[in-house]
Amino acid sequence: MARDTTTLSRRDVLKTSGAAGAAGLTGLAGCAGIGGGGGDSEYPALGNYPVEGDEVVFGLNVPQSGSYSQEGEDELRGYDLAVDHLNNGGGWVDNWDGLSGEGVLDKTVTTVEGDTATDPDTARQSASRMISRDNAIMVTGGSSSGVAIAVQGLCQEENVIFQCCITHSNDTTGSECVRYSFREMFNAYMTGQALAPVLAEEYGEDLNFYQLYADYSWGQTQQASMEQFFTDVGGWNQIESVPTPLGTSDYSSYLSDVPRDETDVLVLNHYGLDAANSLPQAIEAGLDEDMEIVVPLYNRLMAEAASGSIGGIFGTADWNWQLEDDATQSFVEVYREEYDRAPSYGARIAYTQTLQYAAAVERAETFYPPEVIREMEGVEYDGAGLGAETMRACDHQAQRDVLVMQGATPEEQTEDKLLNIVSQTSRDDMGYACDAGPAAECELGEYGDE
Amino acid sequence: MLLLQSEIASILLNGLQQGAIYALLGIGLTIILGTMEFLNLAHGALYLVGAYTGLIVFQETTLSNGFLYSQGITTIGFGGGFIAALILVPLVGFVVGLLMERYVAEPFYDRPETDQLLVTFGLALIVQEIVRNVIGGNTFQSIAPSTMFGVNVSQPISLPLVGLFPSWRLFIIAIAFVVIGLTYLAIERTDFGLVVQAGTRDSEMVRLLGIKINRSYSLVFALGAALAAFAGLIGASIQTISPQIGTERALLPAFLTIVVGGAGSVRGAIAGGLVLGVIISAMTQTYSQWAQIVLYLFVALMLIVKPEGLFGSMEVGE
Repeated sequence: MARDTTTLSRRDVLKTSGAAGAAGLTGLAGCAGIGGGGGDSEYPALGNYPVEGDEVVFGLNVPQSGSYSQEGEDELRGYDLAVDHLNNGGGWVDNWDGLSGEGVLDKTVTTVEGDTATDPDTARQSASRMISRDNAIMVTGGSSSGVAIAVQGLCQEENVIFQCCITHSNDTTGSECVRYSFREMFNAYMTGQALAPVLAEEYGEDLNFYQLYADYSWGQTQQASMEQFFTDVGGWNQIESVPTPLGTSDYSSYLSDVPRDETDVLVLNHYGLDAANSLPQAIEAGLDEDMEIVVPLYNRLMAEAASGSIGGIFGTADWNWQLEDDATQSFVEVYREEYDRAPSYGARIAYTQTLQYAAAVERAETFYPPEVIREMEGVEYDGAGLGAETMRACDHQAQRDVLVMQGATPEEQTEDKLLNIVSQTSRDDMGYACDAGPAAECELGEYGDE
Repeated sequence: MLLLQSEIASILLNGLQQGAIYALLGIGLTIILGTMEFLNLAHGALYLVGAYTGLIVFQETTLSNGFLYSQGITTIGFGGGFIAALILVPLVGFVVGLLMERYVAEPFYDRPETDQLLVTFGLALIVQEIVRNVIGGNTFQSIAPSTMFGVNVSQPISLPLVGLFPSWRLFIIAIAFVVIGLTYLAIERTDFGLVVQAGTRDSEMVRLLGIKINRSYSLVFALGAALAAFAGLIGASIQTISPQIGTERALLPAFLTIVVGGAGSVRGAIAGGLVLGVIISAMTQTYSQWAQIVLYLFVALMLIVKPEGLFGSMEVGE
């Protein structure tokens, strides 16, 4: 549900006065809206382009209810901070080329919020409202790959750019990729590439592993990638791989079925609440005494809810506030000032994806989507806390470093620190060519101005 | 052969544990439905109340930042926090049940079932949102204690045939069945139980016999609520706690349980809960992808073949 903002009420006024009246009002207000940033009037109307008036609307489509709602809260914090910095300066805006701190192309950024309810259909409807009713020029958000894939498909049809937030399925920038969507987050394939060598070194080779995985887009690609890399890199052997329905709360029967004698490593491909249940239950059943447990993708919600059980357990994360580079530290500082806590990786992705879009608009000198897309494709950047990154043109997947993490023991844990960084796997040691891995299945589709 | 036996033993044990929670929920729902013919969709909300009350009691009495700690008592040991919750949670459920009966259920006794469904489902959503607003949407870790009466319950123990099994789960199977047994005795062997049973068959007649059935109504409702809250506490000790658990984990199983067991029958709720628990456990352990499908097929078959359930005397919603 979109929250009322001052922008909305202004829009309501415009709407009630009719389209013609709206143009008149804008004229009367004497806004230098169209073409104000230079060059905007030379393209035909497409999607929600052109942007009229002196404000531009970003649509924030996050889970405010459902099993990933806590991540939604964190994402919103990141978005709010990004918009504040875009309008008023501060944070990374001051260090990123092209961004002025005085809005985007001299227009003030305003936002509308929607609730995806962690459900693809609801998310699509919410995004659709933002596009048609609120004239959002860019939509961003999500948590759950099912949601991201549904919304990016819609955005392609509507010629509105979608900036993915949390989505880790290979399909988002693989078989389901679209021209109008960009992903800063890494994916399950890259998790496999980063994690397998560390685990092979830590636990040895020729081991037997057993997988449980959440039975939807993310869990399936996650399971496939773990199987591929644990087998290839470590020479491990998969005993069995068992799907569990998304939203399962009692895993005891699944866990009873894990053969204790044969299994060396148990891989729990669960996220959020699911992982917060499956991991403690695995430890309660004493499986950690007979085998190693791995949780390939960590997040804060799960780490908090399972904090007593995560000690020593390996996984990967998108980013962590403990990184020591300047960009990370400056982000952590402004975030702490604002919210009095350390940012989760969801907040960083939200913040980064918003700035990436704004910077591309500034470079393109227009909100015209095809030009903005061309500005983002292949762009190199290094101010997002993970060193040098490339937003690859062939699949719109950021090629970047990946963090391997290990759960902190209960004695080590503090309110902010639940995980320790084991290594930052360089993007040079990972990644895949445009004709390999998930990218091989990606066909981006049209720019909209062909 | 031994492998098969151990598989069956582990299915039964997991099924018992899951079934005990279903049975607790089912008994509460069924005595309210049977006695007052009141369809209570807020039953899951009572589970939620139980889980959160348990969480608060547990935190305030055992963690190093709770109320007792602030009074200088750092630990009361022996799983004291959970024992306190075992006593307080059903009491809170009982009081909430009394209030619910008086202010929500009673005005709707003579209204159509659709009205009852709407008001109780609305109430469930209100309770859920109040919890979300007051305590927050956070997810809390399950609240199992590490020791109980001086016994270490955090480590799994080795059972014949089954192998290693979480000892805490054995413990909760035991307490759940003690509570189920006591409830069964109370309803089968006491005067109060007689009135409840008579009320489930013909409440008009009970009234004509001069029994103040309204007071029994309140007690039955409160007892049902206390059992649901108790189920919430048990659930909270093995699974994470968040505002949506009432609707997601409790409401549907409770209704499935009484469909299988038979509305209005305590024996039916116990049997129904256990049957469902074992089916889920068996399917999960063998053909996990078919677990949900088989579960609903089974319930659908029950509705066709034996619509009054295993022990029921009337159909649900009749």
